[in-house]
Amino acid sequence: MSALRNSEGTVVLVGHCPVEDAETLLQLLQASAGAHLDWTQCSSLHTAVLQVVLAMRPALTGPCGDPFVAKWLS
Amino acid sequence: MNTLQEQFTAEARELVQQALEDLIALEREGSAGERIDRVFRAFHTLKGSAGILDLPVMGLTMHAAEDVLAAIQTGGLELTPQVIDCALACLDLVSEWVDSFASHGSFPSDAAEAGVAVTAQLRGLLVGDELKPNLSVSSANLTSEHALPQWVAPLIDVARGRIGQKRGTKFVALSYEPRADCFFHGDDPLQTMRKVPNLCALHIEAVRPWPPLPELDPYSCNLRFQCIAAASRSELAGIFRLVPDQVRMVDIPASALIREGETGDDSRLVLVCSIVEEQLRMLRSATDREDFSGRVGSAARAAMNALRYGSRVSLSDEIERARDIALSLLEATPLLAALEKALALLGRTERVPSGSAPEPKPQPSDRAGSRSLRVDEGKIDALGNLAGELIVLKNALAYLAKRVEDESVGQDLSRAVKREADAMERLSAELHAAILQLRLVPISQVFRRFPRLVRDMAQRLDKKVTLVMQGETTEADKTIVDRLFDPLLHLVRNALDHGIESSEERRSAGKPEIGTITMRASPAGRRFIVEVSDDGRGIDPNNIRLKAAERKLLPAEELAAMPDEQAMDLIFSAGFSTTQQVSDISGRGVGMDVVRTSVQQIEGRVSLTSTVGLGTAVRLELPANIAMSQVMVVEAGGQLFGIPMDAVTETIRLAPDRISQIKNNTGFVLRDRIVPICALSGLMNLADAPRSDSAAKLLVVTEVGGKIAALEIDAIHDRLEVVLKPMQGLLSGARGYAGTTLLGNGRVLLVLDLKEVLP
Repeated sequence: MSALRNSEGTVVLVGHCPVEDAETLLQLLQASAGAHLDWTQCSSLHTAVLQVVLAMRPALTGPCGDPFVAKWLS
Repeated sequence: MNTLQEQFTAEARELVQQALEDLIALEREGSAGERIDRVFRAFHTLKGSAGILDLPVMGLTMHAAEDVLAAIQTGGLELTPQVIDCALACLDLVSEWVDSFASHGSFPSDAAEAGVAVTAQLRGLLVGDELKPNLSVSSANLTSEHALPQWVAPLIDVARGRIGQKRGTKFVALSYEPRADCFFHGDDPLQTMRKVPNLCALHIEAVRPWPPLPELDPYSCNLRFQCIAAASRSELAGIFRLVPDQVRMVDIPASALIREGETGDDSRLVLVCSIVEEQLRMLRSATDREDFSGRVGSAARAAMNALRYGSRVSLSDEIERARDIALSLLEATPLLAALEKALALLGRTERVPSGSAPEPKPQPSDRAGSRSLRVDEGKIDALGNLAGELIVLKNALAYLAKRVEDESVGQDLSRAVKREADAMERLSAELHAAILQLRLVPISQVFRRFPRLVRDMAQRLDKKVTLVMQGETTEADKTIVDRLFDPLLHLVRNALDHGIESSEERRSAGKPEIGTITMRASPAGRRFIVEVSDDGRGIDPNNIRLKAAERKLLPAEELAAMPDEQAMDLIFSAGFSTTQQVSDISGRGVGMDVVRTSVQQIEGRVSLTSTVGLGTAVRLELPANIAMSQVMVVEAGGQLFGIPMDAVTETIRLAPDRISQIKNNTGFVLRDRIVPICALSGLMNLADAPRSDSAAKLLVVTEVGGKIAALEIDAIHDRLEVVLKPMQGLLSGARGYAGTTLLGNGRVLLVLDLKEVLP
């Protein structure tokens, strides 16, 4: 599991985020409207996870830890 | 002007001059790596300064020049005269801009247009090879872009900024729309996109509008990936081999990306980046706390302007916020971070010079090489004035010492005073000499401007010429060296226009086809000599006589009786011209009298020698210093006057029988020349001191402007080294005086300007 919520209520993506994380992420973001997403520690993410981010447009903390995403989707 | 701007103008002028010299040398001696490197660095530094001072036009132009030179460095472009012309034009523009910046604090109003024109010219050199020089760049661009599908256009905009070094390659635009169920087939489209080589632009968008959030199916792909890559179709086909049905590809003509990019967005982005980088570098390299706010403020302002110029307004706003934070914290870090971020977002990581050493610090070896100090001329003048006052004081002390000696107050005391006065004299003389040394500059400062001028003039006149310069290290006072340019320019122009013959003429005269103009400087005691000579057709004194008669300068019979040298001298008369044709190089030949006048203004002399068929040489003899002059103090009509020693050839005590009356004037014969005698008291409208006619007359023989005359005076007092003060205030219009100086006893000595005084 690499999509989780920390004690401050921020949703955090950590390490490699495979396709399954898409659903978890969606649920976490839906559960707490207005929650921030910290994806700085995410080393790589699956298209499905990225799609959730693009669809939900949560407030993002910092550049994405995945350099490819950080470069092309800032 | 603040310090930064002052430094910029001084540095820019030096850089332009140096680049200019190197370019001329390159043209003459052929391509030499080191020289090109130097020119490149000059342009690069100019670009950097333009960035710091927020002068985008200059940055853009310098960037184009830099690209051209880089292409030469790598061998991609040949160093043709055309390239040199272009680079020289670019330098001309810069010096024009810098001049305007120095005097008005801004560039001229037409700077943008001029900059764009030169940039286009420079870019044209680069494009020349791969694409035909195309005048209608924009229209070509339009057609090629029109042929492309609509979705490509926004990508092209992004790609232009990132094209970097990928020039000359093929570009493909690709649209990849994965099927909705692709995740279930184990596809990761993002992963596939990561494999695309040389990605220049990537855009990800929703295919259909996103459904309301509760209905969002995370496992149904609703994304479309669009990109431009510098890759071939086959490479891309290999990557998308499993999903060929979901991919569309379009070839993009390089022109659509590069051509406009070169003149527009690409260089704009590069420029913006380089300016932001420059600010980072400046902020990092500054260590002292002094002027912190000024530095942060100017760095932020330059970066903000650059970003706005690059249409990155939001980034600019961010920098502004960071600046305010930095200023309130008295800490540059927030601004540094914001600048770094801006760079990252501009798609650039900071360029670290190869070798991964961070900023190359000003090389210590360079510093050791020229241990010189740039000092404002005014400060040296102030120092010179102080030393001048000291010399006046010294003269006063010497006068006092003499009085003490005369009044026999005791030998010991008078000797002691004398000793101190002597020491004072020695020290003040040394001090003065040292200050004069400060004002000495090598004559190369004026010589160095000529290679370029000669090149251009020779081109215009279609003549072949080499310019030889000798003795450029000869030193003279800065004021004199500065004022030498105009007369030398006239002389060189004349030599080139009238002296040097056309190639055919030279060939048939049995001379080498390429003419030579020599500029030679050499020291001669307290004075120095500059000679401009050519190996051209020379001047026939009979021609001069004819012209002079034509122009009614002198009666024909007088001209005919005139010795050749004197006839030649007529060339310096006002309104004299020997050229048949009017050319834009040296006009109607009115230059020569201007030469004489301007050289005389700096106490110099001009003479000309010429041999028909062999060439002409003009010799300027000039004082090496103007700050100190020697005067002879004479008495006439009960008053003291100073006569500049330069004008005095000798002093004579003449028995009355040697004086002869010629009409109303008196004169005498001195070494076969008739010398008219003028009484100084008469010239100055003073009453003559009573003296017997039989007494010997005291005469000072002077020679000014080729005219000889003897001044009759009552007594000769001292010879003094003085600092002449020009006539000031109400007296500034008084004719006949070269200036004033204070005598030891505090009286003012008027120093005569003999040119004005003598009839």
